[in-house]
Amino acid sequence: MDDTQANKPSFITTSLDFIVNWGRKNSLWPFPYGTACCAIEFMSTESSRYDLSRIGSEFVRFTPRQSDVLLVSGTITYKQAPILKRIYEQLAEPRWVISMGACACSGGFYDCYCTLPGIDNVIPVDVYIGGCPPRPESVFDAMFELQKKVSDESYMKERAERVKDQMEALRAKSEECRREFEERSKAAVAELKDKAEELKRNVIKKVSFLKEAR
Amino acid sequence: MSDCVKTPRVATPGLRKETSDAVFALLSEKFAAVRDADAPKDFSVVVDASKVHDVIRFLRDDKACGFDMLLDIVGVDYLGFKDYEGPRFAVEYLLKNVYDPAKRIRVKAKVAEGASVPTVSDLFPIADWQEREVWDQYGIVFAGHPDLRRLLNHAEFVGHPLRKDYPAQKRQWLSTNDYLLPALEKKLESMGYRIVKRSKEVMTNDDEYLEGSIRK
Repeated sequence: MDDTQANKPSFITTSLDFIVNWGRKNSLWPFPYGTACCAIEFMSTESSRYDLSRIGSEFVRFTPRQSDVLLVSGTITYKQAPILKRIYEQLAEPRWVISMGACACSGGFYDCYCTLPGIDNVIPVDVYIGGCPPRPESVFDAMFELQKKVSDESYMKERAERVKDQMEALRAKSEECRREFEERSKAAVAELKDKAEELKRNVIKKVSFLKEAR
Repeated sequence: MSDCVKTPRVATPGLRKETSDAVFALLSEKFAAVRDADAPKDFSVVVDASKVHDVIRFLRDDKACGFDMLLDIVGVDYLGFKDYEGPRFAVEYLLKNVYDPAKRIRVKAKVAEGASVPTVSDLFPIADWQEREVWDQYGIVFAGHPDLRRLLNHAEFVGHPLRKDYPAQKRQWLSTNDYLLPALEKKLESMGYRIVKRSKEVMTNDDEYLEGSIRK
């Protein structure tokens, strides 16, 4: 797999990467997972004074199927953690996560039996925003950071890696199947041999018995 | 016209003292209630835990009292309390009269660990959830409660977190979100609906928990 076109930087692959990343980074649709006051700041970010749609985050989608960025803004409790995890799993790839505010990053000042000490215990996080709550400018900063991160990714490389992983999995599976088949056939042969041996012994016994009887 | 509009009563300190003395006289006569020494400024009485149901019913139904609103039920854990001897827990009932701001009362009942308090959910329907919350956080059992389940904490949660001996740094990782559909389906069935397809939550599969949220 090493000599595929994708691993060698060429005009076509880099251009394709550029186009794909350009499209991705300028249409980051956030999923607002707002559980506390940070969500109010996000509303402010989204509305006309700051206007997050200037950088392409036009639509705040309230379904994980249609969004790219999971924007966790607020305190996450242990009771909430499985729900957050499920929402993250429902996001279609490629997906990114922004952890907004002190509570989502580290649990904030809630050091108690019920609050999760940072969402990175449950899901991977790409960008953290500090503050309690952070100002809209910080959210913009995080979005720019995320755009930088997105434009560094290589679609073709990812694809090649994915294919490589699939091929490896396939090879491992076929190897496993082959081994199992061999083991089974060996066992079957051994069983047959045992049976033949037994038959032979029985026949010898019978013959000797008949000889003695005669 | 002027008869319809009552002039609102104002709770002056004198009026408060007057009403509280009248109510306390009744309570001490009927239920052997005593004033709470911990709260000398408030109108707070201590009664025996077994008499709680009778006391609350008397306070609600008696013409002279008429405490027709149960504001809250509060649990208290006295473990490690300074210079305290007696039962470990206390349950406090906060009642008030909706029309008379001078009428407010706190009824306190001391409960030993493992003992129970009679439920008042048949007198005030709101007590159902309030007692569930107190049981959830303190583990105080309310005898005769129709549905004593956890209210705030997760169904998988072990222990009662607001007890003083609950370790402050203890964290519990939970595997699933709370099961809400079984109760809903039961309610729908009781209303006469037929469940065509049962949700997975009703018959839970133990292999299907979300591993990522469990940390060992």
